[in-house]
Amino acid sequence: MKKIRAVMVGQPNVGKSSIINALTNARLHVGNFAGVTVEKKEVTLTYKEYDIDIVDLPGIYSLNAYTPEEQVSKNYLLNESYDIIINVVDANVLQRNLILTLQLLDMNPKMILVVNMIDEVEKQGGRIDAVKLAELIGRPVILASAKEKRGIDDIIDILVDEYERPDVERKIYYDERIEEEIEALSSILMKSPKFVSPDMARFFVVRLFEKDPDIYKIVHDLPIFLEFHEALGKSMHRLQLEFDEESVADILSNERNAIAKSLVMQCMQAPNKESLTDKIDKILIHPVFGLPIFLFFMWALFQLTFEIGSLPVDYLDATFTNFANWLKQILPPGDINAIITDGIVPAVGSVIMFLPNILILFLGINLLEQTGYMARAAFLLDGFLKKFGLQGKAFIPLVSGFGCTVPAYMAARTLKNPKDRLITMLVLGFMNCSARLPVYVLLIAAFFPTTNAGNVLFAIYISGAILGLIVAKILRIVLFKGEPEPFVMEMPPYRFPSLKALGMELWLKAKLFLKKAGTFIAGAAMIIWFLSNFPHNPQLIKQYEQKIAQAQTKEQKVALQNELAAKNLEYSFIGRIGKTIEPVFAPLGFDWRLSVATISGLAAKEVVVSTLATLYAVGEADEKSSTLIERLRQNIDFKTAIALIVIIMIYSPCVAAMSTFYAEVPQWAWRAFYTIYPNVLAWLLAYSVYNILAALGY
Amino acid sequence: MKLSQMRIGQSAVITKVRAQEPIKGRLFAMGIAKGNRIKLLDHTLKKETFEVDVEGTRVALRKEEADAIEVESDDEKD
Repeated sequence: MKKIRAVMVGQPNVGKSSIINALTNARLHVGNFAGVTVEKKEVTLTYKEYDIDIVDLPGIYSLNAYTPEEQVSKNYLLNESYDIIINVVDANVLQRNLILTLQLLDMNPKMILVVNMIDEVEKQGGRIDAVKLAELIGRPVILASAKEKRGIDDIIDILVDEYERPDVERKIYYDERIEEEIEALSSILMKSPKFVSPDMARFFVVRLFEKDPDIYKIVHDLPIFLEFHEALGKSMHRLQLEFDEESVADILSNERNAIAKSLVMQCMQAPNKESLTDKIDKILIHPVFGLPIFLFFMWALFQLTFEIGSLPVDYLDATFTNFANWLKQILPPGDINAIITDGIVPAVGSVIMFLPNILILFLGINLLEQTGYMARAAFLLDGFLKKFGLQGKAFIPLVSGFGCTVPAYMAARTLKNPKDRLITMLVLGFMNCSARLPVYVLLIAAFFPTTNAGNVLFAIYISGAILGLIVAKILRIVLFKGEPEPFVMEMPPYRFPSLKALGMELWLKAKLFLKKAGTFIAGAAMIIWFLSNFPHNPQLIKQYEQKIAQAQTKEQKVALQNELAAKNLEYSFIGRIGKTIEPVFAPLGFDWRLSVATISGLAAKEVVVSTLATLYAVGEADEKSSTLIERLRQNIDFKTAIALIVIIMIYSPCVAAMSTFYAEVPQWAWRAFYTIYPNVLAWLLAYSVYNILAALGY
Repeated sequence: MKLSQMRIGQSAVITKVRAQEPIKGRLFAMGIAKGNRIKLLDHTLKKETFEVDVEGTRVALRKEEADAIEVESDDEKD
């Protein structure tokens, strides 16, 4: 077996991850905006006698890396060892994409060029001559479409051919005057044993012309640096004079632009213009109607999430309750029976019944990502976000935050300025993640009329977002003075989402959610159940058993049984823990059970629901109020429920999200701040809301 | 004139990009470079954010950046 290490490079949103998904059975997340992939990912496949590793790098506009995730790609290209580059370009914007290709060709690497989305160009009457292009750049060119699986099989074939080819040929040269200077400077670099090939020296000179700090650092440590540095300065000065430009970087930019233009002119027949995208954009990002249309879409999404997602909730709730009761009868009585039927089944069931809501929300977010509307929303909201000290691009991690906070923290890497990035990450927790959806849907179903439920849900999400903006503004004024970074963002064309990709994403999401419910949440439920049932107080039980035996009427018996259950629960470990923390939450109207549920939400937000299910089930000997929703109504009043919603909206996200934040932000001071401030803020706001509602007579 | 002074639907050729590095490099990577054709597609109500088409790529940018881009519109040439 021969090993080939290939690295996939291309500008953002050209479909690198889609190509990998088409090549292998990988299920990389894809979307239609720049910055979907922010980490390098690796897949392996076998072909004939080759083991091929393909590394998928985050998109990079040019080797002059700009954002942290682009730096990842650049570092990989410069420092890691690999055998061949797969350069992916988007056929629709070939000219711009070729500029990165030209930068890569400066290295004279083994490389193949994959022209993706060729179907879109051809549908509009355009054509690309792959043979001609290959001849001009001296590298194989494959016309491909990940969507239609076209050309995908050729990629590996040609990759292996190119890998086995003994030498590579440089076809692209810059203006003679530039090449002369490169030649002279390269010969100085070649004196150092660090440079084994003239290609590498040439590449270094070009990068230094573009003032690449990473390359500068390497050259700086070489013994020939002084001689080289002087010659470099003179060369750059000569070139600036000859071309009458401010910097050599500009000269090279213009050169590449001209070469890319001429390549496209020779190889491509442009498609007919005035695409569908232009027409749709005239409406969707209309100066006046754009924003209202966006808000309407969001409102509709939350309406659907609640209305359609809640249709099966009552049914699922009842099914799980019946299932638990049925299990209770067929399993032998005892602790095992109790832990399953009182602990795990109701807890897991209480979470799983929200799967439909979560899937609808994810479908909405996925559509936003895959159609290209995400970038439009960022465009529309940029002016608004700027007022709050954020920038339009921050919208993308913020929206991802509605799905899950963990990837959202990572998506913040697409923000260049570290201050912008930190502010965005600090307020990301206020974007309600989908794990909180079950808590909201449960509380809304229990405490609000169904006619308004979707609106309430929308209001919760909007308030979270607005609170996030206000906090961002405060942070910007108090802690991070200075202007937010400039905003320059590519707007992808609208694309019909691939049904297969959508289905796959939803299926993955459902699988992940069920797995989490079956493992993590079931585990947490088991712990909660155990803590709430032990230790027993034999004296207390004996005492009540006597009382119950002596009781005259049935009502008295039931009342005594309930009293016993409640006393037992208070005597248990969790009762004691709850009683200890109760004073903290008492001003919000929480009893100790709600307090415990709130704390348990730090493990995962769904656990709040499962803990409520457990705690309100064991304390209930009366089987009449069977569902969790009814039990909540009996035990919690309206203003307390609202205070709980406020707490859930604001306080620390789950441990998974917190550890992601710690991993992304190295400074201890920010980690400490991040850990403390949301909880303080949550308590204060919940306290205010609770008291305002109390004053209003709720 | 400046890109920020263009009318919606107007086309022009970029004559100079005055921005500082590294934003200049970024603009260039998006195709906003001397000699390329640019068309103003849209702007927000208060002209704070602009959407342009350069050689087939749609790019969103702010007023600050749009002010730094000099263009020669097709009407000016006539």
